[in-house]
Amino acid sequence: MTKKFFKVAEHFFAVEADEEIMSQMGNYAPFAVDSCENPVFSVAVQEASAPGYTEEISQDEEGQSILCGRTADGLLAFDFLLFGVSTGVLVCDSTLKQSTLFLTPRDVLAMSTDDVQRKHVFALNNSLMVLFALATSELDTALFHAAGIRYKGLGYLFLGKSGTGKSTHARLWLKYNEGSELFNDDNPVVRLFKNADGKPVAKVFGSPWSGKTPCYKNVEMEMGGFVLLSQAPFNKISPLKGVAAYAAILPCISGMRWDKKMADGLHKTQNGLATCVPSWYLECLPDEEAATLCCKTVVYENGDSAP
Amino acid sequence: MKIKKGFVLRDVCGEQVIMGEGIGALDFGRLLCLNETAAWLWKQAEQQGEFTVDSLAEALCGEYDVGAEQAKADVAAIVAEWQKVNVLE
Repeated sequence: MTKKFFKVAEHFFAVEADEEIMSQMGNYAPFAVDSCENPVFSVAVQEASAPGYTEEISQDEEGQSILCGRTADGLLAFDFLLFGVSTGVLVCDSTLKQSTLFLTPRDVLAMSTDDVQRKHVFALNNSLMVLFALATSELDTALFHAAGIRYKGLGYLFLGKSGTGKSTHARLWLKYNEGSELFNDDNPVVRLFKNADGKPVAKVFGSPWSGKTPCYKNVEMEMGGFVLLSQAPFNKISPLKGVAAYAAILPCISGMRWDKKMADGLHKTQNGLATCVPSWYLECLPDEEAATLCCKTVVYENGDSAP
Repeated sequence: MKIKKGFVLRDVCGEQVIMGEGIGALDFGRLLCLNETAAWLWKQAEQQGEFTVDSLAEALCGEYDVGAEQAKADVAAIVAEWQKVNVLE
């Protein structure tokens, strides 16, 4: 077993695993650091049968499910299923300082070596995302489900339900808004800081999690705006303020809101983001006009001259 | 009646909003904005635990300058609204 340290959005975490698992963690390489003090979480990864747990809540999306419950000892357990097959169970102590990921043993999975590896990588990525979201929920940090574009130095996140076309809209920016760069396609991290005057400022960071698109960039930039997407037979963009902005970003942030402390922490972050980051509602077609209209509107809002 | 477990009142950008956060309330999927009176009544309902239109109306009369009949009508309308969106049991 070797232990490696990573830094994502300026939060440190530690992973202990054998070489076979470590060799599958290429997406984490840009975030590796030599050492760290006080990681927000640590996890040990092993291929072994997991302790049993009682399910309390589950979440399903496109063949992927997360079951959440408690072990007989009262520890939090997360089971990561891919098309109904358990790929691994994460068991956490209440401080998240020492969690264990039990990867489903290969003789139980009974698949080819490649398939076993894919399942284990799925469990590992999901575990680290869950741990990251939980461990940072009270630290003015939000792990988003969104596609992220950098344009003229600022970050823009495209939000929306699965299948709305977040990635598609990001692709349209790359094609039609010159100078755009995709920095993450699925899970960027946003943090709130205070600038020298004490005013809140939101920054967005790349992460090792990027959905189906390999785009693991260790970058950071100030937030330029949130854009909630909705499919429509036309292109129209309007600003979202206050509660409407909050309602747009809330469903896109990972977290365990049934835990009061985490819910309080996320609420504070969401309120801060809804207040200090311009937010928009874009009803759109998957076409050039959608990308140019969106760019012209959200970038102009940030004090830049209209292109 | 009482407020279902998992529903909370929060200050969202200066407005009073009900949202579902607990297990069993996560599928609420919306934010319900309350005016000042409704937010005050929600906090009362939380304090009382088990409440009725009468018990809330009585509390309202004690806090605001409003007649008993009017208070009862106002509370009944707000409670009906909460029942409609299914946050009471």
